[in-house]
Amino acid sequence: MPESPTGIVFDIQRAALHDGPGVRTVVFLKGCYLRCQWCHNPESWALEPQVAAQPDAPGQHRTFGRTMSVAEVMQIVLRDRVYYEVSGGGITLSGGEPTFQFEFCKALLRAAQDHGIPTCLDTSGQDKQEDFAELLPLVDLFLYDYKLTSSESHLRWTGEGNERILNNLDFLYQSGATILLRCPILPGINDSQEHLEGIAALSRKYPRLRGIEILPYHDIGHYKFGLLGLDPPRLTTSVPTEKEQLRYKQVLAGLGVQTTS
Amino acid sequence: MQTLNEISIDAAYEAARQRTGNPLELELAFTRAYRECAVTHAFARELKCLGVMFPAILLPIEPSDLLAGRIRYPLVGFSAEAMGLGYYCREDEIREVLRLAELPPEKSGEVEEMLEFWRGENTQAKTRAAYPPAVREALPSDNWTVESGIVFPLYRMAGTVPDYGKLLRLGIPGLRRELEQRIGDALPGTEESRLLQHLQGAVEILENACRHYAKQAELQASHATDAAVKEQLQNMSQCLAGLPLHPPATFQEALQLFWLYALLSGSWNYGRMDVYMGPYLARDVEAGILGEGEALRLLHSLWQLMNAYSNQYNNRVFVGGMGRDNPEEADRFALLALEASRSLPLNQPQLSLRFYEGQNPELMALAITSLGEGRTFPLLYNDDVNVPAVSKAFHVSHDEALQYVPFGCGEYVLDHRGVGTPNGLINLMKCLEVTLHGGIDPVTGRAMGNATGEVRGFRTFEELWSAYCRQVEYHVAALALQEKIEYEVVGETSPFLMLSLLYDDCLERGRSIFSGGVRYLGGTLEAYGNINASDSLAALKKWVYDERRYTLQEVVAACDANFEGYEALRADLLLAPKFGNDDDEADSMAQRVHNHVCHVAMEQAGKVGLHSYLVVIINNWVNALFGKTTAASPDGRLAGETLANAVNPSPGMDRNGVTAFLNSLAKLDANIHAGAVQNMKFSKSLFTRHRAKLEALLAGYFRQGGTQAMVTVVSRGDLEAAMREPGKWGHLMVRVGGFSARFIDLPHEAQLDVLHRTLYE
Repeated sequence: MPESPTGIVFDIQRAALHDGPGVRTVVFLKGCYLRCQWCHNPESWALEPQVAAQPDAPGQHRTFGRTMSVAEVMQIVLRDRVYYEVSGGGITLSGGEPTFQFEFCKALLRAAQDHGIPTCLDTSGQDKQEDFAELLPLVDLFLYDYKLTSSESHLRWTGEGNERILNNLDFLYQSGATILLRCPILPGINDSQEHLEGIAALSRKYPRLRGIEILPYHDIGHYKFGLLGLDPPRLTTSVPTEKEQLRYKQVLAGLGVQTTS
Repeated sequence: MQTLNEISIDAAYEAARQRTGNPLELELAFTRAYRECAVTHAFARELKCLGVMFPAILLPIEPSDLLAGRIRYPLVGFSAEAMGLGYYCREDEIREVLRLAELPPEKSGEVEEMLEFWRGENTQAKTRAAYPPAVREALPSDNWTVESGIVFPLYRMAGTVPDYGKLLRLGIPGLRRELEQRIGDALPGTEESRLLQHLQGAVEILENACRHYAKQAELQASHATDAAVKEQLQNMSQCLAGLPLHPPATFQEALQLFWLYALLSGSWNYGRMDVYMGPYLARDVEAGILGEGEALRLLHSLWQLMNAYSNQYNNRVFVGGMGRDNPEEADRFALLALEASRSLPLNQPQLSLRFYEGQNPELMALAITSLGEGRTFPLLYNDDVNVPAVSKAFHVSHDEALQYVPFGCGEYVLDHRGVGTPNGLINLMKCLEVTLHGGIDPVTGRAMGNATGEVRGFRTFEELWSAYCRQVEYHVAALALQEKIEYEVVGETSPFLMLSLLYDDCLERGRSIFSGGVRYLGGTLEAYGNINASDSLAALKKWVYDERRYTLQEVVAACDANFEGYEALRADLLLAPKFGNDDDEADSMAQRVHNHVCHVAMEQAGKVGLHSYLVVIINNWVNALFGKTTAASPDGRLAGETLANAVNPSPGMDRNGVTAFLNSLAKLDANIHAGAVQNMKFSKSLFTRHRAKLEALLAGYFRQGGTQAMVTVVSRGDLEAAMREPGKWGHLMVRVGGFSARFIDLPHEAQLDVLHRTLYE
């Protein structure tokens, strides 16, 4: 029997209801190409496991990330098979950028497929096109982030421009992938008319998108920057109110975009 | 917080207190009737006593009632469970009434004499007097609400469900005819013949109750000024007056006859109501004599009457499920009942839905809507799992298992053919606690139970385990024998005519229900602290025996100190695997504890001569009371804190997502017990925004063996707000254990218990 590949996982969340269709198990892989300042999982940035002091429990430490084999991950994923079956759910690989650990990512998707479990890949799109080409037959649904329309802003807020992301999106779309576009909205950063129009433009360009989802910013991961000894994010945003969220949807609707959430 | 039947006792006390004249006249009359018959046969005595109670204790029709039938028990009387076991005398309450009423000396002397008489004559006292020494030793106290102990007996004939289908089919005239015919066939002078004759007397009491209310409705109608009210009352009077003359023909007549019988029988669980009411509803609606709106109003009125007959731990109404003769007609009633509970937010009746794959999906859809609106009803029962499980656990055929009905907080019984009153309580955490203290109860310092040896003798986990097992076995055996003795005493003391009349196979065998009449005489015992015991054992196994980080003595010392000065040790105990996370270590320990106690109970049936003897893992507040008298435990629980609710994880210990929680629940073998309560709390937003996913979670749980679900849909914010401003949250309903309650009515600790349970969003 071939050795089961291993990778570094920082969380496995069961019964996730918000990351793809149905009831899902989300496997969070460490390592990311981007440094989004609003990231709620900054523990995903570095590939290697990280140890952080626990401010509320002196002397205690918390480790982010541990090495797991594909078999170990699948052993947990398979426990909820019945819920996937009745709900149309399955496994979602997230991160970080799940393709950052490309071989592990691929092996997990293949293992899930071998077990007949539907797969989602929650990706930033920031990776080599050849990688996406290889993953294409292994992914039932891409949860594909679209963060900023202006490449300059993209560079400023995430550390990279958006050219590669847009190219990969185009590649996947033209290759027939099923894609749900996920758009985090951060007041003061990307809730501009320009970006909302950018979303609308993509929706016109790619009419066969599975949908466009608005993800309102939340700050529940913010505390982890300090925990990990990272510089506090240069952030000038806030959690959008219900009213603001409604406005985004209305503006987008005015531009002909039906959003889901 | 009231326990078991305290609600009806309180009501009886209030009623007696408010009576004018001699407040204890009825109690004295009842006692005289009993004493006059004391030397004659138990059948005649019961009939005479029922004659004193009925219709005297039936309360007047209230303006909102569309059906007649309210009741308030006296402080001395006869009941199956509402006030106590059989012939009861509530001495404490009577003394209180006596004190307030300032009766003249000759009257109070009479009352004192009455109290003296009942002290040895009430059925509970007779039961205790019948215990052999071994049972007395194992069950030293009846005072389970206050005293520390491993096991306690309960005195009641709970969970009876008469054959209402037969009642409605035959009606009063049909019952009379059947009795006459059987009397004609029976040998005169035999037990059978005497029973049948007294059952005729029971039918007469039912007739009298109908006439009593018919007259009362007529009288109220004559005084009514509002034309609609007058017509309503006349209609009610006519309905009641017709019941002695012909079997019920309409939905209203069927409801009315059913309800009066239920009140008179003292049984407050109602079985498969859709099966016996469905045909009447369908016929009326199809014939155009009853609109859906009127039908709903009638059912609302019945629900109000059940709610007034307050017992939040019972009042079970069942709809849906396999094994219904006419599912289309039954479904019609089931949908009406679901709608009645959805549109009338009460904590009673405890409407329950049995379902199976392939059932009319409208029923489950309406059920989910009702739950999503925060009603806590219906409770959901999965027939695909439960029917085969009941067949195995109760040793009955598949066809008979189809007729299981949970009663009370969730104990299964076979509808009108079986009795399985839960008359024993066992605290499994206390079993382990005493085992860890060399046979001493650390709370009282007294020796208790089986001497299983000193703690230092438990060199391996298996040695500890086997000592715990012996402790459990000793106590379960005593409870089983106690239950059998209780049935024997009750059987000799009273025929329970109103139950015997409609219970299989009393008429066929010519025996009263508890002396050989009922087809399946079984028993149940309520187990508590199961999960605390298993989590504790898992923690001990890990830290003491596998990792050897602590000695057993150290952990016991830490528990004795309520973990003061042992904070790090407690943190480790809390980190040990816990049930509810789909963790194989914790869950297999829970299975081991579960399998052991369930099998030990099952083995007792043959030994004591019951058809079955089964564990039920329910909850009616005993988890909190037992928690108070249970020391800190090796699962990290502090002294006095509530024990985990039924087979649910300890509050907040399930941290691995809802599927992991549900998977753990589904692992406990359903084939070896008579009901286990599973509570789950979901957020409102999950229901409103992801209803399909929530339905899938429930469906997945049931598909992999989940037996039942008691669902509360609530938001954390609402619970917290209700604790701050109770005045604004009277509508907030939660499922506590095997019962529902208005959140604001719960004592603080119960509110916290509900709040601290994991809310799945």
